[in-house]
Amino acid sequence: MSGFVHLNVASAYSGHYGVTRPEAMAEAAAAMGFSALAIVDRDGLYGAVKHIGACLQLGIAPIVGVNLAVFDDDQAELARCTILAHGQNQGHGWSTLCSIISAAHSGRTFGSSKKLIGIKRSQLAAILKDSGGCTVLIGSNSDVGRLALEANKNAASVALEHWKNLFRSAGTLGVEISCHLTEPGTEQSVIHARRMIELADSLSVPTVLTNAVRYLTPDDALTADILDSARHLEPLGVFKLQPNAQAWLKPDQAMQSLAKEITEDQPRAIALLESTSKLAERCRLEPISDCGWGKPKTPEKSTLGIEGNPFEVLWQKAHEGINRYYPHASGETLRQVQHRLGQELITINKLGFATYFLTVADVAQMIRDMRIRSQARGSGAGSLTNYLLGISGVDPIEHDLLFERFLSVERSSLPDIDIDVESARRHDIYRAIFKRYGSQRVTLLSMQSTYRGRGAMRDSGMALGLDEDQIDELAKNMWRFSARSFRGALQTKPELAKFAQEVETDRQMNLLVDITERLDRLPRHISMHPCGVILGDMSLLNLTPVEPSGMGLPMSQFDKDDMDPMGFLKLDVLGVRMQSTMAYAVREIERVQGKIVDLDAVPRDDAETFKAIRTTNTLGIFQIESPGQRELTGKHQPTEFNDLTIQISLFRPGPMKGNMIAPYLDGRHGFAKADFIHADLEPILRETWGVVIFHEHVIRIFNKMTGCGLAKGDEMRRSLENPRLKPKIEQLFRSESKARGYPPAVIERVWSVIEGFSSFGFCKAHGAAFALPTYQSAWLKTHYPVEFMAGLFTHDPGMYPRRLLISEARRLGVKLLPVDVNKSTDEYRVEGDGVRMAIHELSGISTAEVERILKNQPFKDIGDFYLRAKPARRTLENLALIGALDSLTGEGFATTRGDILARVRQLNAIKNRPLGDSMQPTLDFTLLEHLPSGNPEMTTAEKVGHEMSIMKMDVSEHVLELYRPMLDEMGVLRADELVGLRSKTEVLVAGVRVATQTPPMRSGKRVVFVTLDDGTGCSDSTFFDEAQSRCSHILFNTRLVLIAGKTRRTGVRGVSIMAENAWDIRELWQQWQQKTQAAG
Amino acid sequence: MLRVDERVLVSTNQGGEPIGFRWRGGSYLVNAKPVRWFARKEWWVEAARAQRGIGAGVLEVEMWRICASRENSSLAQYELVHTLETSNQNAWRLVRVYS
Repeated sequence: MSGFVHLNVASAYSGHYGVTRPEAMAEAAAAMGFSALAIVDRDGLYGAVKHIGACLQLGIAPIVGVNLAVFDDDQAELARCTILAHGQNQGHGWSTLCSIISAAHSGRTFGSSKKLIGIKRSQLAAILKDSGGCTVLIGSNSDVGRLALEANKNAASVALEHWKNLFRSAGTLGVEISCHLTEPGTEQSVIHARRMIELADSLSVPTVLTNAVRYLTPDDALTADILDSARHLEPLGVFKLQPNAQAWLKPDQAMQSLAKEITEDQPRAIALLESTSKLAERCRLEPISDCGWGKPKTPEKSTLGIEGNPFEVLWQKAHEGINRYYPHASGETLRQVQHRLGQELITINKLGFATYFLTVADVAQMIRDMRIRSQARGSGAGSLTNYLLGISGVDPIEHDLLFERFLSVERSSLPDIDIDVESARRHDIYRAIFKRYGSQRVTLLSMQSTYRGRGAMRDSGMALGLDEDQIDELAKNMWRFSARSFRGALQTKPELAKFAQEVETDRQMNLLVDITERLDRLPRHISMHPCGVILGDMSLLNLTPVEPSGMGLPMSQFDKDDMDPMGFLKLDVLGVRMQSTMAYAVREIERVQGKIVDLDAVPRDDAETFKAIRTTNTLGIFQIESPGQRELTGKHQPTEFNDLTIQISLFRPGPMKGNMIAPYLDGRHGFAKADFIHADLEPILRETWGVVIFHEHVIRIFNKMTGCGLAKGDEMRRSLENPRLKPKIEQLFRSESKARGYPPAVIERVWSVIEGFSSFGFCKAHGAAFALPTYQSAWLKTHYPVEFMAGLFTHDPGMYPRRLLISEARRLGVKLLPVDVNKSTDEYRVEGDGVRMAIHELSGISTAEVERILKNQPFKDIGDFYLRAKPARRTLENLALIGALDSLTGEGFATTRGDILARVRQLNAIKNRPLGDSMQPTLDFTLLEHLPSGNPEMTTAEKVGHEMSIMKMDVSEHVLELYRPMLDEMGVLRADELVGLRSKTEVLVAGVRVATQTPPMRSGKRVVFVTLDDGTGCSDSTFFDEAQSRCSHILFNTRLVLIAGKTRRTGVRGVSIMAENAWDIRELWQQWQQKTQAAG
Repeated sequence: MLRVDERVLVSTNQGGEPIGFRWRGGSYLVNAKPVRWFARKEWWVEAARAQRGIGAGVLEVEMWRICASRENSSLAQYELVHTLETSNQNAWRLVRVYS
């Protein structure tokens, strides 16, 4: 094939170097008439899969290479080479390229300098020696190129000879001729390029013409400047800049003229273009045969320990599950289970996914064997197969979930099964997966973080050399809009008004806006995906290059969007703190009470648990502890598991914006008659009183009214999100339902509901999977509050500060035991009916100090503690202040906190402290003679004050108790008294501010929600415009707040306060004290 | 070498190469194939805007080194800057003279 092909094109995935996304580059190349296009990113194949996908779609041939540093034997950089994979060779070129890249990253740890990425020339030559597979191009940025630039012909010749001798295998070496038409005599000038050709010709090394492309159009060169600045971490003007704006994707014609301009010789120019085409021809990839494109890859059967046909094994295992999970089921249910399982297995077999399911089941079993809590989430919970294999804990038959939402023959992409595990054990699981399947078959998944508002602005500011603090200040306001629309936001966002004015008068600020917009969405750097693991077969590392991740294990250079095209099985193993919390609670129950609780076997209909949920005291319960969910709980009053599924699914921006909550609640509480539109829809929508909430509802409605089948129903549902496909779906729905005799009015109404729904809904399987830990955590809180609270303190899973959980524990009657250096550990341990505070989160305490304390427990007295735990002065004093030394009173002196503190200060006054690592105590024992006594005991208020400042928690008593005399005199109500009041009662409430939220409202006006905790529970107040104007300074920064307002009943147990004003309790306290003193 | 920075009127051939220019009342003719390259500007110091799509002219200028002479003077080398900004069409400036 004739025509020029660009063989050196960096994409935006060359972090801080390339400007254009691969898809855009390929699209432009196709439009310009190129028949093929290469992607050559720096240091990896980060954009390669996207490039191949785009090329396939556009009908041009994909070529893939890498731009890599090549070192000499002393690790000094010789060159940055373009290394291109040969194609049409059953993946030989591709796998060679992958191994070269992985080798280039192997000498490095995550986060170390990128300058260490590269491969030794001798190693590169060794890889290519026997069977080739790639072509290495040396260009102007090389020892050869630099010597040619100096016109040192002999030395350049020797240097090139050296390369030639190392790369003897045919087609493995070439000289890259690129010319950016720079000033004569400089790098990338015409003369430079011409000398490179002469040099290559004199040694008979093939030459290839490229444009060393960094961006699509000349205009993008400005963006490249900014990226260069970000790469160098220096402002523009300080480092060496790109010479001009010539590194763009020039059209065929321009490249031909360039060849002529360089060679000044028509035949040589033609030869240059021909050798370029020849290499391009050789490098065209056949994605399917070269990269395994789209072919699902799963671990070999032997790795999974199975023999024979995987489908038969799956069939067997799933059927075995029936006895285990439906031990007492009726014949009717069993028939249903058998039928459903049969249908699922047929689909799985048709798609060839048996090994996939066996693999996931194997991982799930491995996690269980490690005694780590796990639970499938997402649409996978809709699969009976997943339930029977022990992957998911939700029974899809009981909860009426659809398999077709998860998997169907209408779609052939690998399904996603996500597994939530204990967050504290996540890395253990990754390591176990690597061990079980072997590091040839497993890598972590990576993700590319991209420039967003603040980051884009910071780097733009740095490029312009603006003051860092000034930029930080501005960047704080960069949220809730994308940097791409920065200039537009200047006109509309009030918080940017001041900056907008500056932009008008200050040229630099004006530029800042422009270049911040340019950076938006560009890839920034690669990091480990928070939960993804890729599981493949023995060929995995031939198909993806890997590099070190933050946790040390190798990580693929491909991201989640690359998984499906590459046919990689991705398993999301997500760390969830609530799972750690519950596992901790279960272990504590066993340790303290000797009882073994199997949370997953607990019946899901415990009346006590639902009764406790209905009180709205849901702090610490998964998914329903936020102020909004607590309010909804008060209105909704859930009585069974399915209610939790519905409530979790309803509390989403979509249903809230779509006003779906009110009709559901009205139907549920009998305020309005449920409207099912048509009798046929009643069975589908009965559970939600006629309101369409779930994806499953839409699928079933499509199926019922058009007879399309559930699998097709899900395809139709998915198409609703695509504006191009939606009209077709509408037409299909209307004509088919009409043909089935539904009246036009019904069709009209149903369609309008479905259309309005398309952007909202929630997958019921996902909601049910979420509801399970909700129920389980509620059950633990109800039946084992001490152990559950200890778990919450230890793993801190929720949205609130720990001190609120402390307050909740006190409300539940859980005893809060102070830190004690003889009893505390780095966990919150259960002791009888209380929880011992942990020692490691004390302000200023070091890990080494904690380790010494735990290692040397118990301590005999304060002197003993001082000698063996060797605390720093501040730690020792802090421990004394919070009472952690109260139990060390064996030295025979009086035992007030004041005495202990005096003793500690005595010890702290000693000059020669015991050194951290020294074994030799150096205590000056003379001081031991004077044991202090007679110092006063601390007041409770003082104790709480110290606890708050040192631990950020009020352990001795609720911090509000100090102010009780004043609050009682003022007639302030307690939070638990509110529920008994009528609507519109005037009230005063007080407490610690635990949350202030300003959710976006439909009206566009700002509404502020403030939650206070007073030790009896939480009160929620709403501030509208007028109230905000009176006290907005209180709502965001004050800790102890008094609020006046009127009650507003929102449901059976739902009461909130329409606030009128708010005050800082401490200011009121001062006035009150002055007043009482004056009176006294 | 003489540094200057003056606007000159340049005539070009169809390929855009300068063939002659007028400077300080004199008329100069190019006698050899001119050399062209592209140089860059410190746009962050001088530009008012840099938004997407503004064009490479904010960053890049075309440079020409030409051998030219007046009717009765000897041959000298001249360096011309050709600004590429779309708003400033055909802006040529003479920046250096090598005699």
